[in-house]
Amino acid sequence: MNCQEARLQIGADPLAHSAELQEHLSGCADCRRFQAEMGAFEADIRRALARPPQLQRRARAAPPLWRQLALAASVAAAAVLLAGVWLLRPTDTLAHEVVVHVQGEPNSWFAAEHISSADIDAKLRRAGVVLDINSDQIMYAQSCWFRGHYVPHLVVQTTHGPATVMILKHEQLRTRQAFHESGLSGELVPVGAGSIAVLTRGDGSVDDITAQMQQDVHWMPDAH
Amino acid sequence: MRIIARSGKSAAMRNSQPDSPVSSSTDQLAGAPAALTQLFESLRPDLLRFAQWLARDRAIAEDIVQESLLRAWRSRDALKDPAAARPWLLTIVRREHARLYERKRLELVSLDDVVETQAFPKVAEPDDDLFTLRHAIMKLPIEYREPLVLQVLGGFSAEEIAHELELSATAVLTRLFRARNKLRVLCGMTAAPDVAGDEAAP
Repeated sequence: MNCQEARLQIGADPLAHSAELQEHLSGCADCRRFQAEMGAFEADIRRALARPPQLQRRARAAPPLWRQLALAASVAAAAVLLAGVWLLRPTDTLAHEVVVHVQGEPNSWFAAEHISSADIDAKLRRAGVVLDINSDQIMYAQSCWFRGHYVPHLVVQTTHGPATVMILKHEQLRTRQAFHESGLSGELVPVGAGSIAVLTRGDGSVDDITAQMQQDVHWMPDAH
Repeated sequence: MRIIARSGKSAAMRNSQPDSPVSSSTDQLAGAPAALTQLFESLRPDLLRFAQWLARDRAIAEDIVQESLLRAWRSRDALKDPAAARPWLLTIVRREHARLYERKRLELVSLDDVVETQAFPKVAEPDDDLFTLRHAIMKLPIEYREPLVLQVLGGFSAEEIAHELELSATAVLTRLFRARNKLRVLCGMTAAPDVAGDEAAP
């Protein structure tokens, strides 16, 4: 065994004492010195390793940028989806509820008695609505409880036949929406801060009465 | 990979803990899961210390030990002699640690950040004189730290480490030499002249 081999063995395992190494050490003062030095250091290494490192639980590192961006994109997509659902669902439900309500008053289509202007005004005012329309056109007027509010439910005679108009002061719409359901067709139309629902039986046009109502409906401020 | 389950304590295992108080009777071990559980649990602190020096993260080390004990329990039939339980379990822990790095690229954090701000408490330790050395061991690259910990804590011989790490015995000797040499330097001592060892695989 030469010095290099001896030092490799000592450095790799300072406590080693093979016969071959002992033989070399007996005739090499430098390697004996190296062994003594490494032996003392080895005692420290063993003392150091005898106790576990005092590690604390590492705080989770911030996720990489791509993961943060992916998360943000996912959240944004979910928000858009939810917003879409939120915007679409009420109008679908509103159209359906309007149809259900009108179907609940089937005789309204056939009303023919004249209703006084005062009576119409009373029903409109109860709902906070002013309507610039010739009362002769109105064949039916009720103030109906609908979605938590009293709303005017009118049947107006048009050149295409009777049309039902519900004036929905508290229903806000972003866009005009046509619907066909249960033999009724109509439109939900945003007007000012509220909206109106105009329906007719079958596939009759409601364009004229809708346009007229958009001009004639005015909202009164809410009473507090 | 093969699990080492030695039947006795070899001369190279001089650093192993004393024999387990549990009887070395194979029949008794096989027939007494409670005794095996107790044996495993008695070794848990050793395993955790070993895993902590390898992983340098307490939470990861705890996970490694837990998973290792689970694997060991599933493979308990491979353990024929309770006296071999400690090196057997340490081997499983080492492989579980290696497996962790194989299957998962862990987030890299500056060791200085971890060690200097978290590894050591602000208050002085009783063995303050070893602070620098413990810090230096933590900073050793895994290829040097792993054989050193296997040798010192595991009591494995260079040949056994070589077998476990799939290296030549000379390569392991070289790594152990260099590990200690790096520690000398990190502790402010003069480096010993390097030896020209072969670190290639067998």
